[in-house]
Amino acid sequence: MKYTLSFILNGLPADVLVKPSDTLLDVLREKLGIVSPKRGCDTGDCGACTVLLDGEPVRACLTIALTVAGKAVETVEGLSKDGKLHPLQQSFHEHYAAQCGFCTPGMLMSAKALLDKNPQPTREEIVEAISGNLCRCGAYQEIVEAVAAVASGRRKEKGQ
Amino acid sequence: MKEAMYFAETEMSKAIKLLGQLGKKAVILAGGTDLVPKINYYKLQPEVLVYIGKLGLDYIQEKNRKLIIGAATSMAKIAASKLVAKKAGALAEAARQAGTAAIRTAATIGGNLANASPAADLATPLLAMDAELLLRSGKGKRVVALKDFFRRPGQTVLRPGELIVEVSIPPPAGRTVFLKLGRRKALTLSVVNVAVRLEMDGHKCQDVRIAMGSVAPTPLRCTRAERLLKGQEVDKALIAQCAAEALAACQPVDDQRATAWYRRQAGTVLVARALAQAAGLAEK
Repeated sequence: MKYTLSFILNGLPADVLVKPSDTLLDVLREKLGIVSPKRGCDTGDCGACTVLLDGEPVRACLTIALTVAGKAVETVEGLSKDGKLHPLQQSFHEHYAAQCGFCTPGMLMSAKALLDKNPQPTREEIVEAISGNLCRCGAYQEIVEAVAAVASGRRKEKGQ
Repeated sequence: MKEAMYFAETEMSKAIKLLGQLGKKAVILAGGTDLVPKINYYKLQPEVLVYIGKLGLDYIQEKNRKLIIGAATSMAKIAASKLVAKKAGALAEAARQAGTAAIRTAATIGGNLANASPAADLATPLLAMDAELLLRSGKGKRVVALKDFFRRPGQTVLRPGELIVEVSIPPPAGRTVFLKLGRRKALTLSVVNVAVRLEMDGHKCQDVRIAMGSVAPTPLRCTRAERLLKGQEVDKALIAQCAAEALAACQPVDDQRATAWYRRQAGTVLVARALAQAAGLAEK
């Protein structure tokens, strides 16, 4: 059976027909053209599909799509405003925090979840926040620096 | 293939009735962190998914001095709760160390138990704290002690149509400690985990619970080791003896995370360390 799923996607209402076994990742990527969340493992281990659900980080691949009915989902597609990159995106760019880029959307959303709650985290808190996001290129150092730069306010003047 | 169905009831009585009607066909969905990988890889093709996230089972409260946690309460909420930190420190610690942020947002206490993994991180502290589960089905309610809940990997005493409603933890006596050893710090299943609750009267052990995970087909209590300690003066020699005895109760296996031999070695160290911490004896 197919069901109509209504939720808020990056601030706009979305309606889509889904099956009970469809995950949020299936629906975002294959039905709504939202391809920033990546399908790395489909088991919740890699973190590349991390999105925000009512402001909290979740794995889109572990979320049965129908359970997000009425909730707000944020992805990288919703980060930039009026053609300007989000401070985190700008900082990732400046710190060379993306090598192959596959983990980047998940890293950005995990980092956003952290900074939205804790605008000035310690280095340990940043590391903990991205501990579930695997970067196969090993760009962790640059990623942590990029997040820390936003947190310390060095990026505030741009992008916001 | 049959088309699957989905229900997300908002009233408990309706959900219970539905689960009763569906029986074995119903697959209960809470946070999905253990269930959905099985669906993604076609190991499980549920005929009917019954989502319990809208039943209001997301609460942490104190009732008659007991700590009561709704079955659909997330690990993130448990990890952040001041009440849990105060009343059940080892449980808060286990929730903090489980998975990673995006897993803890979704994963629930009831799901962690119902999934019945031998490595379930919340099971060990709950065993050490004599937790009980309130179960509900069309036939009514029943209370099952957590130590009687697990049968074997993936198997519990839950009957078809039965739902875990809440977890109840008696008023804590003594100190609780949770220690976990994984392959790495974050997002890892336990190679071994240990929880102890130790109630001291001066230097004497008044009462003790020792629970271990990932060393047997189910999370387990080490009652023989507990008996060694109870009523005795606690010192390092007795703790070492007790840790060895605890491991004698285990039947660890070789798997991709560790060998049985390694689990025994690491488990002995972890039990000794947890007991020493709970007793306030510096142990390095």
